[in-house]
Amino acid sequence: MSTNPSTSAVLMRRLHVGQNVRILAGVIVALMFLLPVFWMVLTSFKFQRDIFTTPPTFLFTPTLENYTRYLQQSNIPYQMMNTVIVAFGAGLISIFTGSMAGYALARLRIRGAGFLGVLILMSRGVPPIALAVPMFLVGRSLGLIDKHIYLILAYCTFLIPYVMWLMRGFFLALPKELEESAMIDGCSRLGAFFKIIVPISLPGLLSTLIFCVILAWEELLFAIVLTNRIATTVPVAIANIAGDTVNGANWGALTAVGTMTVVPVVIFALLVQKWLIQGLADGATKG
Amino acid sequence: MGGVRIRDVRKSYGGLEVIHGVNIEIPDGQFVALVGPSGCGKSTLLRMIAGLEEISAGTIEIGGRVVNDLPPRDRDIAMVFQNYALYPHMTVRKNMGFALRQRKFPKDEIDRRVENAARILGLEHVLERKPRALSGGQRQRVAMGRAIVREPDVFLFDEPLSNLDAKLRVQMRSELKELHQRLKITTVYVTHDQIEAMTLADRIVVMNGGNVEQEGEPLELYDRPATLFVAAFIGSPPMNFFEGTAAGGQFTIGQDVRIVLPPEAAGFEGAMTLGIRPEHLRLSENGWPATVSVVEPTGSETQITARVHGQVVRILVADRTHVGPGENIHLTAEMRHLHCFDSKTGKRL
Repeated sequence: MSTNPSTSAVLMRRLHVGQNVRILAGVIVALMFLLPVFWMVLTSFKFQRDIFTTPPTFLFTPTLENYTRYLQQSNIPYQMMNTVIVAFGAGLISIFTGSMAGYALARLRIRGAGFLGVLILMSRGVPPIALAVPMFLVGRSLGLIDKHIYLILAYCTFLIPYVMWLMRGFFLALPKELEESAMIDGCSRLGAFFKIIVPISLPGLLSTLIFCVILAWEELLFAIVLTNRIATTVPVAIANIAGDTVNGANWGALTAVGTMTVVPVVIFALLVQKWLIQGLADGATKG
Repeated sequence: MGGVRIRDVRKSYGGLEVIHGVNIEIPDGQFVALVGPSGCGKSTLLRMIAGLEEISAGTIEIGGRVVNDLPPRDRDIAMVFQNYALYPHMTVRKNMGFALRQRKFPKDEIDRRVENAARILGLEHVLERKPRALSGGQRQRVAMGRAIVREPDVFLFDEPLSNLDAKLRVQMRSELKELHQRLKITTVYVTHDQIEAMTLADRIVVMNGGNVEQEGEPLELYDRPATLFVAAFIGSPPMNFFEGTAAGGQFTIGQDVRIVLPPEAAGFEGAMTLGIRPEHLRLSENGWPATVSVVEPTGSETQITARVHGQVVRILVADRTHVGPGENIHLTAEMRHLHCFDSKTGKRL
């Protein structure tokens, strides 16, 4: 059946218009998400007097005062280090244990495995506030309050189920013959997992690690409840600045610390972007 | 080197038994093909030999020792999977040497064996490539190379040619046969393609519904199928079957087709299925009347589809023929080429 040339031209035009509309919608959504971040970064370079002008100013004399003064006067570098330790610690432990659990759910014939998996997933449905107070009481009894390891373990409680389910999808998408072949070639089940499955799943593991680190990086509730001085993280510092009832919220400092919190995550995400996209695509098509 | 002995092996999933007491003896160095339709249990049986599936009952011996409780790595077997299962993050060299590295072979020995296998399979120039940079045929060869370097007691093949195109499949089939003739390692080969089984195997085991339907040499199965199932499964184009009645040493289809039965079936009375292979039917002046419906010339031979009393029949004629659709023809067959089956039991008479 042939198509009338004028009909195909109309179809092409509609296709072109549809594509432009989609691009425009994408740009609008991206702007909606990025505008507050852009505003935060912009504000962090303003003097206090330029922050609350009406209408807001886009042209101003930039300053690094918010960064230098606050970095010198506060514990931000120390808290930043705490955040790195806790976020990467929780991310790595969760990836290690969660991926093994996900593999077991995907491959091993365990009686009640489905129920067990759903039960672990359901634990994600418990409001964090309901866990924070019992965790505080347990931590206090064990003398673990304000310790990095306790915050790491607390984060693992919600990161491991997340990793487990995400990685289960990746493992299910891999042909089981790969590890069967490895087992015939001389590996144990665990050996096949570490020597064959883990290297192949590296994109998925890395993208999951990034999400875990970001989730732990920005977490506030557990950090506030389970730490008070030594192991406090940057989100706690931001909350303290914003809720400073004595001096009032220092918006310059707040946006400077906010920017410093976001930038490492963005740099990290850009560095592993290739893996992240590959991992997301694998999960979307196979998982 | 070692043979494989499968004794009364059963496999159940929950309460469902899928392999019902299979007995097969494979002598050292023999090439045995397990054939049957999808779901007949051939792959499950192969996986039980490999140790990838637990055995619910019975025993499997490899090289004279019972391997029921041994993990796959301790059975001294090598397996080639349908999808090759090459490790995508390793080069061809590392893929082929992986099993030897796991067994802590010296590096020199690994290199020697890998290069030797690569030479046999014509893979020398792709040793440093990753599997994704190989063609389907090359991947297949790497999978075979990975098995060869092990020098195992038994080779297991799970439909290894299924993913190849028709031309490459024929080529790889010859290479496989040549390889077996050279190495003489006991081989168990699972396929649903009976041509593959016929051309490659020293012996064929036909499976159906978790049971061994018949086992024997390829031409023995072709010439004397024990059941209707085997008769229908082995041979391409498949055997023709005529439903009719046997009485007084004659087989009758409808009113006017009467065929004198061979001595082994002459005494049978009742519903009978008569099988005749397409190449054993002849066009003749006098014989059973049939009406041609389709003529398919291939150059070397012609396949004619016709109807005898409403029953479809295929005839393979070696010469060129000038019959056309709608034409009435007559068919005959020599008595020695008749296969008589009891319609009720499906067994050969």
